[in-house]
Amino acid sequence: MEKTLPKKHFSQWLKSLTSRRVYVPRKDEDGRWNYAEADGGEAALEVLQTTLPPKKILFPQREVFLEFTQSREGQQETLELKDVLPEVRPTVIVGVRPCEARAAWLLDEVFSGEFKDVYYWKRRDETALVGLACTTPPSEHCFCTSVEGSPHSVEGLDLLLTDLGDRYYVQVLTPKGEKLVAAAKTLFEEPKPEVVKQAKAVQADSNKKIKRQLKDARPIAEKLKGMFDSTLWDEESMSCLRCGICTYLCPSCHCFDINDEVESPAPLRGQRVRTWDTCQFPDFTMHSSGHNPRPDKASRLRQRLLHKFQYFVQVYDRFMCVGCGRCIALCPVGIDIIKVLDKVKENGA
Amino acid sequence: MAKIEDLKEEAKKLLREGKVKYIIGYGAGTNGWPAAPLFVKTPEEVDRLVWDPTCVHNLVRFLVDEKRRKSRQKQPDKRPVGIVVKGCDSRAVVVLLQEKFIDRGDVFILGVSCEKAGVVDDSKLARKLGGKKAKKVAVNAENRFVVTTEDGEVEASAEELLAERCLECKANFPVVYDLLSGAKTKRPLDKPFGSLDKMEALSSEERWAFWKAQLDKCIRCYACRSACPMCYCDECVVDSINLAVTADTTADEKAQRIRWVQRSTESSENMVYHLVRAMHLAGRCIDCGECERVCPLDIPLRFLNKKLEKEAKELFGYEAGFDADLPALVSCFRDEDPQDFIR
Repeated sequence: MEKTLPKKHFSQWLKSLTSRRVYVPRKDEDGRWNYAEADGGEAALEVLQTTLPPKKILFPQREVFLEFTQSREGQQETLELKDVLPEVRPTVIVGVRPCEARAAWLLDEVFSGEFKDVYYWKRRDETALVGLACTTPPSEHCFCTSVEGSPHSVEGLDLLLTDLGDRYYVQVLTPKGEKLVAAAKTLFEEPKPEVVKQAKAVQADSNKKIKRQLKDARPIAEKLKGMFDSTLWDEESMSCLRCGICTYLCPSCHCFDINDEVESPAPLRGQRVRTWDTCQFPDFTMHSSGHNPRPDKASRLRQRLLHKFQYFVQVYDRFMCVGCGRCIALCPVGIDIIKVLDKVKENGA
Repeated sequence: MAKIEDLKEEAKKLLREGKVKYIIGYGAGTNGWPAAPLFVKTPEEVDRLVWDPTCVHNLVRFLVDEKRRKSRQKQPDKRPVGIVVKGCDSRAVVVLLQEKFIDRGDVFILGVSCEKAGVVDDSKLARKLGGKKAKKVAVNAENRFVVTTEDGEVEASAEELLAERCLECKANFPVVYDLLSGAKTKRPLDKPFGSLDKMEALSSEERWAFWKAQLDKCIRCYACRSACPMCYCDECVVDSINLAVTADTTADEKAQRIRWVQRSTESSENMVYHLVRAMHLAGRCIDCGECERVCPLDIPLRFLNKKLEKEAKELFGYEAGFDADLPALVSCFRDEDPQDFIR
């Protein structure tokens, strides 16, 4: 289904969604873009890339799994365990970039299968993603078109808006998306054929505006299979600081750690908590014996690339990279995943 | 500013004669910032070296990696590592020498003087260029910055673009070096702690509100810790696993390890992490500003370090990183120290 939404009706439409929790990209006090609750305020969708992707809403950095409480009555000691599931209100994230929605589409795979992650799905099921096609690339390091995405891809999205100047061209992609339109049906219009044509032209044009390219990405998976012991990883990781920026700010990285956080030791009281973790930290693979199978920066950089471009491709037949370019733009020492993968392709050639 | 030609010539000689294992310097970046760390192993690669006001990184941090790497090798190459250091970075070398983390023979120091310039601040540069990207930044004869972008050149005064720390710099040329490029020009410094004025004028309630809001943004990527040349501990109090665990560590010992800081990004935990980090730099921080520069969420960490630097100066007349023969501030007591409880 296709619609158009005149821009003058946009904020009214957002207001019609207020029974839901509405997130939009907003500028914080430091002038940074960030997905934050709309507060009924005006939302501007012409934004640069947010530092943190919307992953933090679907997969928060801290999540409580259960609470434990010890109590004693006379000689009787009991330990009470209480399951904690997130209390989620219907949520809509407006202004999501197509690459960020593609990342959610990847996380959907990871958190389903044999073990369905109830915490993730509790949020995901209640969340609708309203995308904004990137008629202008939000970052100079965007390379979505190289990893099977595009500035107007629809995977993971419920609605996709394309800016046509005075109106948005709206692609309604799922029943969830239909509900969002139905919330204020009268604001939307049926698109005239020439508007659809214009929208398609704008979308096609947006592909050409993506400046950076990783050519021929599919064969990389095969190439990487023979490069586990390559010295390339040593060379490319020399300047790595072993911080977590590239993975924590990646929309598709999803590794986590689970800890019991004790608030009081006697009587015992605390929570079991899931937090983000990253393969870039030395303790990520630390065994309890003291042995660390990934003891150096080289093996950790290799892991990040192999997970995204080999292992994930083997298991899910998709790249685990959506080409948003955050890891490139935000790396404090300029490690550039496109350059490293270019070297992978040249290796031994 | 030091001359890149001087550097290249010396670097080639050092590598050709095998006097250094490799050289840690600056090369061209590809991620939108003109300079990035570069590791040069052969004389042929030397021409890739650059030196300009975007060489912000403190490369001394890579000496920590080198030491770790060496400790893992059975027969390590004992030759020194060549390293390009600015004035501020050289003070970090001094602290590492003072703390006996490295020996003087471990490094061959290629000192570069910033003279009357310094390095540019990324957010100031971004504001000045209004969305355009700098391809090259140079300093002209009048000590003004000349920024080359896609659409031509933009000129700016030093004050407009210099990093805040450069405006309060106490060492615009290296204090320790084997070779020096550029002149030993002192820059007059009227207010060495001027950046603290605004923070010190706030009430404690206002400061609390400021820091709570700032530290709540922290995602604990630990880039501030990772970029710091002084954060060289093998085991850090905030890591969830004791990295010093060995095959001989008993299960009891592992179980009893105290968790001082939880992984959760809660206000309390973030606060503890940042205070621990700052306090461990008391009398050690040399104000290279890397912690603040690398923070993806722009937490103004330099305030914390600068305040401690000021306390060290006012209470003990101590400035870190100028004399490798002095004992470190927190490991010595002198008769003139203000705390007499220790006598």
